[in-house]
Amino acid sequence: MRNEWVLLPIIIPLAGAAIAVLLRRTHRVQAAWSFGAMLTSLAVSVLLLIDVLSTGRPVVFQVGAWPAPFGISLMGDALAALMAVMCQVVLAAGLVYARGSRDQCVQYSGFFPLFLALAAGLTGAMLTGDLFNLFVFAELVVISGTILTAISDDKSGVEAAFKYFFISLLASALLLIAIGSLYASYGTLNMADLARRIAAEPDRPLLPIALATLTAAFLIKSAVFPFHFWQPDFHSASPTAVSAMLSSVVVKIGVYGLLRMTTLIFVEQAGPLRELLVVLGLIGVLFGGLAAIGTQHAKRMLAYSTLGQIGFMLVGIGWGTPLALMAALVFAVNHALLKSAMLMLAGNVASRAPIKSAAFNVIGGLGKTLPLAGALFLLGGMGLAGLPPMNGFLSKYLLFNSGLSAQEFGSLALAATGSVFTLVYVARAFQKIWWEPPVEGAKAKPYGDRLIAPALLIGLCLLIGVWGEPLLKVSAAVIDWISTPAAYISAVRGG
Amino acid sequence: MELLYAIAIGLMFGIAVFQLLRRNFNRVALGVIILSNAINLFLLSMGATNGEVAAYAAATGQRSDALPQALVLTAIVISLGGLAFVLAMMYILSIRYNTTDTDEVDRLKY
Repeated sequence: MRNEWVLLPIIIPLAGAAIAVLLRRTHRVQAAWSFGAMLTSLAVSVLLLIDVLSTGRPVVFQVGAWPAPFGISLMGDALAALMAVMCQVVLAAGLVYARGSRDQCVQYSGFFPLFLALAAGLTGAMLTGDLFNLFVFAELVVISGTILTAISDDKSGVEAAFKYFFISLLASALLLIAIGSLYASYGTLNMADLARRIAAEPDRPLLPIALATLTAAFLIKSAVFPFHFWQPDFHSASPTAVSAMLSSVVVKIGVYGLLRMTTLIFVEQAGPLRELLVVLGLIGVLFGGLAAIGTQHAKRMLAYSTLGQIGFMLVGIGWGTPLALMAALVFAVNHALLKSAMLMLAGNVASRAPIKSAAFNVIGGLGKTLPLAGALFLLGGMGLAGLPPMNGFLSKYLLFNSGLSAQEFGSLALAATGSVFTLVYVARAFQKIWWEPPVEGAKAKPYGDRLIAPALLIGLCLLIGVWGEPLLKVSAAVIDWISTPAAYISAVRGG
Repeated sequence: MELLYAIAIGLMFGIAVFQLLRRNFNRVALGVIILSNAINLFLLSMGATNGEVAAYAAATGQRSDALPQALVLTAIVISLGGLAFVLAMMYILSIRYNTTDTDEVDRLKY
């Protein structure tokens, strides 16, 4: 029974999506059903994480009872379970926001099924132990995310979706080339088996090609610097409930993939990859920070901020010491909570604006009548900038501390510069919305999206910031686990 | 046979990338189709032609590998769905923006 448990966080949203399609005639029932499915799946993945951590053994399920290298393995190890919990917390909050949102697109009968499909794809991509299966789940995420953007109230949603779909088509092409090269060289797609065989025969001619294409595919998924150009368009044009998901957890597929690549599949070859990640991450931190300072649109600013924050995680993965990996992991979790809350708050303010837009020349000065949203935005902004008592302080402290102990002073200085930019753009947005006098004659509408979802998320961020010990303990256990790839391999291959 | 595969895959990738970079929607859609087929051919070349008899057939002889074929099937289904979606988006874009030129689809600027 324990092994089947890892199926549930994927099956529940997927089956929930199918049933939600059948419930399309009654919107209320459909919404309640979707929320129930999401909460059940969240509870199941939390139980999975607790179980994995308390026993210290991963949960492995061989689909169809085919033994490990031949069938598809679902692998709920500590890292995957933590990522799954992170995704599902944010997704559940996203559903709460969607329910209280005044967007027209939330009323469409396809919205909740697609949202659940997005949840299933995300969780599946984290929990799978097979490279091709990862491709399938990543495609599910891409397609449902694109459709959710294309139906946005914003008329240019289709344009953003079109751009994103082309880029991710390229990413899946690269992923398939990597899969083909690896299968041609090593005759397996199971990540554990692949890790074992690559370590045994590292000089197959197609290996560098697979390494390069796989890295590029994950970099596109995470919108890292040279592949980021679609991301601000895509994340600012989608409906608020969806953009909060896209910019916080969907980009984590790439971070997760790179973490797996450097610690499991390509351990021997990870050196140059790590250096590349540090360089790209630092460019992302600086470029994302500067672009966020320069932009005139609140959601777009947060999208550029994601570019910078992902850069911090890549720098942590690139430094590669256990402490730096732990910092990257804590950063990923905290960023998911903070960024989704911030985007929801920006969307909330935009929903109160006279014309629905998050551009600063529309929402500037609107904040006078929105004190609660302002307080939450201030707290979230402090988190993004890394000020105590928010959880962002924890992640930045860990990251800079790990950089000091790894003696990476040059990259540390650049990352710290980028961190100052974070403070600047958050303060600028707060000042523009809440301090400046309103635009001529503009008044906030008396109603808008509900604030409960961002309030919950910011509350969680504050809780982690004040009482961070559980998250730190879990992350330390995860890093302890992924630093011994041999344990992962033997867990999947039986024994 | 392998040389033929290599040349065909290379040619198809070249044509696909060239078409993807064109400005006309129709060309881009053609590029998507050719790209997904180039990749399917690449996946098939991983070893589908190595055997003499089908994987689970009763006949004797060198069995061919069933996995590349399964992968290609999955990839075909996914790329078919993706292509249908791309065409639908192109249709809507061509109505909303009244153009078939990708360079004129540029309203997202701030």
